[in-house]
Amino acid sequence: MSMSAYYQTRAAHHGVVTSDWLAQSQEAATRAVVTGGQEIVDGGKSGRAFSVIDEFNNWRKQPDLAEAVAAIRALAAVIRNSEAKTMMELEIELKKASDSLKSWDTTSISLTAGCDLFMRYVTRTSALEYEDFNSARSRLIERAEKFGEISYKARKIIAMLSQDFIFDGCTILVHGFSRVVMEVLKMAAQNKKLFRVLCTEGRPDRSGLRLANELAKLDVPVKLLIDSAVAYTMDEVDMVFVGADGVVESGGIINMMGTYQIALVAHSMNKPVYVAAESYKFARLYPLDQKDMGPALRPIDFGVPIPSKVEVETSARDYTPPQYLTLLFTDLGVLTPSVVSDELIQLYL
Amino acid sequence: MSLSQLMLGPNVVLCNAASQTYPSCNTFTHALSFFNKIEGSQATARQTAELLRSVISQQRVPYTNQAGALIDAVKAIGEQLIAANPVELAVGNIVRRVLHIIREEDLSLTTAAIGGLNLSAVSDDENDDDRDGDSTLSAAAVAAAARSTLRPPSLQTLLEDTPVSAAVPQTSSSGGDSEGKSKSADKSSRSRKLKHDVIEAVNELIQDIVTCHEQIAEQAVEHIHQNEVILTLGSSRTVLEFLFAAKEKKRSFRVFVAEGAPRYQGHLLAKELVARGLQTTLITDSAVFAMISRVNMVIVGAHAVMANGGVIAPVGMNLVALAAQKHAVPFVVLAGSHKLCPLYPHNPEVLLNELRSPSELLDFGEFSDCMDFGSGSGSPLLHVVNPAFDYVPPKLVSLFITDAGGHNPSYMYRLIADYYSADDLVVQRRATAGN
Repeated sequence: MSMSAYYQTRAAHHGVVTSDWLAQSQEAATRAVVTGGQEIVDGGKSGRAFSVIDEFNNWRKQPDLAEAVAAIRALAAVIRNSEAKTMMELEIELKKASDSLKSWDTTSISLTAGCDLFMRYVTRTSALEYEDFNSARSRLIERAEKFGEISYKARKIIAMLSQDFIFDGCTILVHGFSRVVMEVLKMAAQNKKLFRVLCTEGRPDRSGLRLANELAKLDVPVKLLIDSAVAYTMDEVDMVFVGADGVVESGGIINMMGTYQIALVAHSMNKPVYVAAESYKFARLYPLDQKDMGPALRPIDFGVPIPSKVEVETSARDYTPPQYLTLLFTDLGVLTPSVVSDELIQLYL
Repeated sequence: MSLSQLMLGPNVVLCNAASQTYPSCNTFTHALSFFNKIEGSQATARQTAELLRSVISQQRVPYTNQAGALIDAVKAIGEQLIAANPVELAVGNIVRRVLHIIREEDLSLTTAAIGGLNLSAVSDDENDDDRDGDSTLSAAAVAAAARSTLRPPSLQTLLEDTPVSAAVPQTSSSGGDSEGKSKSADKSSRSRKLKHDVIEAVNELIQDIVTCHEQIAEQAVEHIHQNEVILTLGSSRTVLEFLFAAKEKKRSFRVFVAEGAPRYQGHLLAKELVARGLQTTLITDSAVFAMISRVNMVIVGAHAVMANGGVIAPVGMNLVALAAQKHAVPFVVLAGSHKLCPLYPHNPEVLLNELRSPSELLDFGEFSDCMDFGSGSGSPLLHVVNPAFDYVPPKLVSLFITDAGGHNPSYMYRLIADYYSADDLVVQRRATAGN
């Protein structure tokens, strides 16, 4: 059973740590180093100790940094360490690095989207603006490093945009732990808004527990629910707030398992579903049903041994179609789901 | 300054007060509070556009960064106008349209000026504090700026968010400073041209506002067919013209008019329709659900259309929309483009609503004892709520017919991207550039 590194990282950062998980992550880490080593050997450039995957892993360890940002910073490191003399050469190196990053974890959408965004930017910049290779290169490095700030700024912008939608006395339902949603709620608490949060547990990571801790520190009234209690409590909810692992071309989102369920219940009871996602998570995917995306599997610990004959559904994510979403808050502004494909077309024009 | 004086000549008023824009603005905003007819959005929009046109023509612009100066002036007045009457969204819409026009004209002038090596400073108003004087930029760099200025922030501009002047290294290649002298002559003609272009574009805008009814009515014949039954609520001039246009084209149809309590403007509409020879039936608002199954199409006007496709309409419209959805009757909203607002409604029933006098519902004489504040605990047992507007969510609307054609609610964002710039969503004068 192959494990999705992306979801393991998320569990590491936000979930409750169990001993099983520790063992598995140890195994995954050694596996990554091995593939990183292979990258060095296959790279062809002798004597180079640099590996984009290692670099990426270093950046990824920081819990506050988004995947896409880590990827872009890793690619910036590639440029820095590159010995290319022309733009074409640099682009080819970058393409190879980007491909290897993407293939290392095929399940992470924001990683793919981040790499694509950066490659797109590089090809556009190089062709047009600078006659001098060195200045072009330094500009690329500078921009890539600034991208980290953009990500941080993006969360702030999203939080600001969503403030109007949180009114005094409202009840918000959140699912699992999303850093963007956390920022939204933090800003609302700082603005002295009176609201209550219902937080699902978010099995199997139980990341909801972490969110509940954080909110309790901010003195926001929190109520924890098990995942199955969502429909039971939906009538007292005023709005649902979720993050996204990826936003797809149709305007739907890919997010932690359970989001689709919550959106369905909210839609049937006429509650708005708001998504908070940075714009670099927009991906050129168009899933037609739940199984259309590549599988991203997560080990689930049931606490008791399960007979080997019994299958377990281990997918870590699901796809929520756009008709169940009300609005998306992104750093590009407030968008309805139909705007997303327009934005993507603009990028790839 | 009396109201009648203002109505006759806002331009005269403004010319006198050119250097003290605030007093004239106050008078206009005072006048705005008189615009509380629901159908007043067209007149309000036109007044706003004309006021802004005179502000622009009065405004002195410096040699560099003319667009920035104009934008600041418009924002200053715009802020006051919007604050005076936040429920009348047409005011804010027109202010933002004018701001967008200024940016667009500036951009087209700039790209026209790239014809050779002699380039004056790019008036990218984000950068007024970063740059003083002019800097020569390569044509490609300016093109890059152009790519990023007018578009709403998009994925493309994510990585290019620093202003071009800061990013371009000092070793810029094209055109040296020796051409400095010929630049100043260029610039003064450019400054005159910008104002001229902007005023022309604002005139076109005013023209569009005035003729929006004709443009919408032209599309009537595609939507109304023979022997149809149309339902409408209250009275809207746009709907009136729309139905007349279909009648002109010899379509025979019948109209059900819901009276639109408590103002009963449906009565006026019914009278006008009969005067034109249309078979009309007048019903109460409560009878809408009973009659809706016999209706082919619902056609209504709107007070404002929000960015998500939701509609702010006279009270009772949500009722009709829900009834129409239940019986699968198309719900068509007619709205001129000056009613299209780039904001997302987060609590429209409260924030975008106006509570009117209870006297429209109750006769004070008869109910004076129930509403007496002097009795007992000082608060009356009878409360009368008379909201002016209703919010219709986008999923209940089948089609919007604007002067730009017919579209469905999820398409509204495209029109907004065409008419408005993302920087203008919050109309506030920024003392320093950049966030």
